[in-house]
Amino acid sequence: MKTAASAMSPEQARVRRIRRERRNRIVRHAVLLAWTGFIAFPIYWMVMTSFKDSGEWVTWPPHWVPHAPTLHNYAQIFAFSSIDPSLSRQAAEQAFTIWKGLGDSLLVCTTAALLALLLGTFLAYSISRFNVGGKYFRHTILTIRMIPPIVIAISILIYYAILIPYATGAVFGARISMFDTYIGLILIYTVTTLPFVIWMMLTFIDEVPYTLEHAARLMGAGRFTVIRRVVLPLVASGMVVTFLFVFILNWAEFLLALTLTHPEVTTLTVLLNKFQSASEGRLYGPQAAIGTMITIPVVVLGILIQKHLVKGFSFGTIRR
Amino acid sequence: MARISIKDLQKTFGAHRAVDGISLEIRDGEFLIIVGPSGCGKTTTLNMISGLERPTGGQIVIGDTLVNDLEPGERGLGMVFQDLALFPHMTVFENIAFGLRVKKMPDAEVRRRVAAAAAAVHIEALLEKFPRQCSGGESQRVALARTIVTDPSVFLMDEPLSSLDAKLRVDMRTELKSLHHRLGATFVYVTHDQAEAMTMADRIVVMSKGRIEQVGSPLDIYNRPATRFVAGFFGMPTMNFVEGAVVASGDRRSFRADDVEHPLPAAVPAALAGREAVLGVRSEHVLVGDGASLKGVAQLSEPLGDTTLVHFDIGKGRRLVAKVGPTAAIEPGEALTFQFAAEFCHLFDVHNGARLY
Ligand SMILES: Nc1ncnc2c1ncn2[C@@H]1O[C@H](COP(=O)(O)OP(=O)(O)O)[C@@H](O)[C@H]1O
Ligand SMILES: [Mg+2]
Repeated sequence: MKTAASAMSPEQARVRRIRRERRNRIVRHAVLLAWTGFIAFPIYWMVMTSFKDSGEWVTWPPHWVPHAPTLHNYAQIFAFSSIDPSLSRQAAEQAFTIWKGLGDSLLVCTTAALLALLLGTFLAYSISRFNVGGKYFRHTILTIRMIPPIVIAISILIYYAILIPYATGAVFGARISMFDTYIGLILIYTVTTLPFVIWMMLTFIDEVPYTLEHAARLMGAGRFTVIRRVVLPLVASGMVVTFLFVFILNWAEFLLALTLTHPEVTTLTVLLNKFQSASEGRLYGPQAAIGTMITIPVVVLGILIQKHLVKGFSFGTIRR
Repeated sequence: MARISIKDLQKTFGAHRAVDGISLEIRDGEFLIIVGPSGCGKTTTLNMISGLERPTGGQIVIGDTLVNDLEPGERGLGMVFQDLALFPHMTVFENIAFGLRVKKMPDAEVRRRVAAAAAAVHIEALLEKFPRQCSGGESQRVALARTIVTDPSVFLMDEPLSSLDAKLRVDMRTELKSLHHRLGATFVYVTHDQAEAMTMADRIVVMSKGRIEQVGSPLDIYNRPATRFVAGFFGMPTMNFVEGAVVASGDRRSFRADDVEHPLPAAVPAALAGREAVLGVRSEHVLVGDGASLKGVAQLSEPLGDTTLVHFDIGKGRRLVAKVGPTAAIEPGEALTFQFAAEFCHLFDVHNGARLY
């Protein structure tokens, strides 16, 4: 066969190469499509379920689309007061409105993301400009992020629920627990997302030439003025992107919230989990409705960030 | 007073001595150019004067004040950077006004001074634009205006023309020179371009490997280079160097390299006789043609229009370059005779390159 291949005319070789490329492309797209389907199917099922009435939640054969679409599930999760008795199947339904979870999630995620952004931006600045921590510090920071949350969850729980209350009790005479508090959850979110903030802000700050700061300082600006008037305006869009990214991370976080809170602080992901353990049975419909509502901002912010990331990283404003 | 006095200034990065003990007196109102090859410590020196870099050792005195511990903004200096460093998010107006705004100057005064600075470098029409909308030459002027507006007594410039194309660069030289004249301020200008240094400077400081090789007027440096390095750095094409020895011939000295022997000026001291040396002679002082006794073979001739450069071989792999008239037709392979204009011969030490004569 070797001789046959070498005897091939250039024209034949070209045709073969085109065929091979086409085949590769088809295989690649088939694999990607299958993967997309695999990933998207649960989301599809969730959205469909959120429009089904209780009779349709579990059926065989499965209903791919709701046969009798209803907004009941949404009415239930968005209810402000006890809902219309005609709609209400169970008294316990009132416990499963979205409002408490939404409020807690917004408060915790926003505060933690802002805090991480503030700390991370200044840390990134000093790493970029003064080589704080040495040449490889920026990579070290990223490896911190490789520790799975499950590894730290239990030890943090021990600190929050036992060691800190015990220590404060011994020292100040009052037991201060961090378990199931807003501050406790905000702190742990701030810490776990800080490496991302530092890493992302580093790429933005590195893009701002140091000579811009030199020029400003020679014109009499102090360090603070230089940061406020020169550096911050140039990394502002990067900060927005970073904030949104970290916000999404916090918004979708489940494990730490589950471990470190109960029953007081209830983020949306934890709220979602409660439906399954409810003694009244499994309320798939409202659960799917909340799941859908949690997913929407993630998708919207994701699309927003995607646009900003491209603009942010290529930067547009800096000319070299 | 814009006199700057530098004493034994040093800067080390780890084990690397970027600036290795330089002392220099910069006079009030002069146009001083620091020139040297890339990496010789020019930028580091300038940054230590401006305060952006802390000296490892030595002193910098501006006027009568020791400024070692002063912030960059407190030294009364203005600086134009190699990459210009215009603020991309501000208009040209705001770029120029930045230094005044930082000083909390009243708005009307800011307007007046920005307008004056813009007029000084002819960019009145650009004030509402952003830096990215300006051409290279225009950005250059904006950077100048931004420095002029704060009215510094000393202008520091780090290769400010390096981002411009060749034609514009030559035009800007003239303009900078006249700007210096009009402002009457002290200019300390850094470049790696010897031609830029020759054309603009009142005095030139030649640096190499963190040290000063020579300080002097452009003609001084061209005609009496203190070291072989300086001799080779200035002038196009590079000066010819021939290794050999000084020998006595009668009551005169001459230079011998193998079988080539050439008389030296009478002023070359007798003490040099018998010493190994490097002879340096510029291409315009290599005389080709009638009456000359030394022989060479032409290899290449480069017509430049006003002159022609002839590269020729004198045996043992030694090649020289001579500048001849534009009409001299010398073909490659042609035998020729040459001699040096003896009064323009330089002698350098073989080892440390110091000038012997
Ligand atoms: N921040 C720094 N860290 C380490 N080495 C540096 C630093 N700045 C400059 N150098 C080194 O010091 C030497 C002089 O640099 P520089 O003053 O920029 O040279 P020039 O401006 O003459 O080209 C170079 O070898 C350069 O690599
Ligand atoms: Mg430099």
